Amino acid sequence: MLLFENTKQKLLYFLKILGSPFKKFVSTGEFKEELGLVQSRQELLESITNIIENNENFILPIIGGVGIGKTHLYWALKNKFYYHNTVYVSLENVYKKFYYNTYSEFIENLGIEPLRYIANQLCNSWGALERKFGFFHVADINKVRKTAYENWISKFDDEIASKDVINAITAHQLDPYKKIDAERWFLGELMDVRELSRLNLTHDLRKEVNSFLMLKILIENSKLGSVLFIDDFEKILSMMKAAEEETEEVEEVFDPSWLYGTQNRSLPEIRTAKKILDKILNLQKIHGIRTIITLKSIDSFEEIKKMIEEKNRKLLLFLKEPLFLLGLDERDMFQFYKKAMEQFLENINYVEFLKENPDSYYPLNEKVLKYIFNKSNGNPREIIKFLIKIFNEIIFSYEELDDILVKYE
Amino acid sequence: MNNTDKIILYDSINEIKIIGEFTGSIISKYKDSIIFSENIKITDSEGINISQGLLVGFEDISEKKIAYSRKSDFSWENLEDSALEYCVLIPNDIMELYSEGQFSDAFPFTITLLHTAGLYLNDYKQGINHLDFFKGEILKNPVALIRNGMLIADRVVINDKGDPVFYDCLIVGRDQKEDLNISFEPLANVDDKVVEFIIILGIEELKI
Repeated sequence: MLLFENTKQKLLYFLKILGSPFKKFVSTGEFKEELGLVQSRQELLESITNIIENNENFILPIIGGVGIGKTHLYWALKNKFYYHNTVYVSLENVYKKFYYNTYSEFIENLGIEPLRYIANQLCNSWGALERKFGFFHVADINKVRKTAYENWISKFDDEIASKDVINAITAHQLDPYKKIDAERWFLGELMDVRELSRLNLTHDLRKEVNSFLMLKILIENSKLGSVLFIDDFEKILSMMKAAEEETEEVEEVFDPSWLYGTQNRSLPEIRTAKKILDKILNLQKIHGIRTIITLKSIDSFEEIKKMIEEKNRKLLLFLKEPLFLLGLDERDMFQFYKKAMEQFLENINYVEFLKENPDSYYPLNEKVLKYIFNKSNGNPREIIKFLIKIFNEIIFSYEELDDILVKYE
Repeated sequence: MNNTDKIILYDSINEIKIIGEFTGSIISKYKDSIIFSENIKITDSEGINISQGLLVGFEDISEKKIAYSRKSDFSWENLEDSALEYCVLIPNDIMELYSEGQFSDAFPFTITLLHTAGLYLNDYKQGINHLDFFKGEILKNPVALIRNGMLIADRVVINDKGDPVFYDCLIVGRDQKEDLNISFEPLANVDDKVVEFIIILGIEELKI
């Protein structure tokens, strides 16, 4: 019979076998973050919640320095707005085929089922489920398409894109033999000319107008609200600046005017950056899209604001006042550490440790945590980096725990 | 799912006759045939009128029983002497369920006949039985007359025993008290012994 167990020593053994509870100091849009926001950020979360719930179209800038937890905020929002389609796009990764990639992100988040439902509802509204003799659905696909064109002709500028989308939706719903191919088109698969012509389509979703139109249909007909979280928005500015510096500093052997003409001296990077901004602003034509962008400084916000003003002053109406994401305070850091350790102990099925040592910061102590906080100035990424370093030392070093901790007190 | 409130517009056995004009999904039983229609008008003076209904049944042509479906207007002035047995209006909630089963992506390889044809007829002399021929196939738009009622389904599959299995079907029939009932069943396995006939409606007849 076990009369006594040294729970702290046991935790150290577990750490040495299983590794550190702190492994990752960069949050990404791909891997879900389980830990919620700390206490001091709840107010910010409430402010964002209010804006999302009381507005249908807006661009909300969130300003915070490097490693302050902007991407982590996305996961907090996604968990809070589980009844919304909350989608993450990072401009670091997505700056080409913006609409196509954003649409793909929506589909990945939602799955195909809502899209099938939307296609069904649209077909119904175009008279596809009209009952002959009160009972029999005899879908006249051409008649349904004609009704759809008439309905959409005033709504959408691009006729070819409208026809493509209508043909795909009607084929998906009314032609069982083309349904699978039409669904592939919905999912954004690349299709060759033969496959497209079988569906009576001209382009797949790589075509900008097609993916924009599908995005519009998806968002405007979805039962849930949509939140688009665009991370690293500063990429637009950095692309422009990098290109400008390049033109100023580098002695040019090659004259860009040979390729781009004398009138338009802007480099491809600048034009790409401007195009992304245009595309993001164009998203505001989609009714019900709530856009959150992240920036690193207030200066960047002012620059973006200026750029939007130059393009179209009316678009400033969509731009909300920025919210600031500040560093953690000391209490937050203690709370974060406790939560992370609790989660680790739950994952390794060792919750007895928590019961026996409810207020302990073991294997660290209060002094070490204060040292970390002072050194990192409350920056979450820096805090995690410190924690990773100390825990790695505890796990891999042959030194006694107290000797290790003394170095950080 | 059952719903029997205000759906029996006319019933010759239980002497029900609701005066008025009705639109929606209406099924009527006339002799050994079935009429599908979008409208019906019942008055005391003019009797019952159905415009542009679809009559489905068997007829004798050259001593053969041939299935048919025919669009026509119907009128019965003297109801007491007519062979019209009942007219029922299918409630919207049941029709919605029925509609949900349509265009099901789970059955893309369904056989749709161009012209209306008899799949099965329970007749001592001129019986028809193509059930074995279509064993394992999915046929679209079957209509069946069963011993105490009728059945209209989105599709029918003939199972390995040779019995028809109807999917997404509306069943109209009489219970032990001779009252009319309507129900929707996602799946109905019917023994061919209780089936009077099964007709597969042709798509051409429905489109015209």
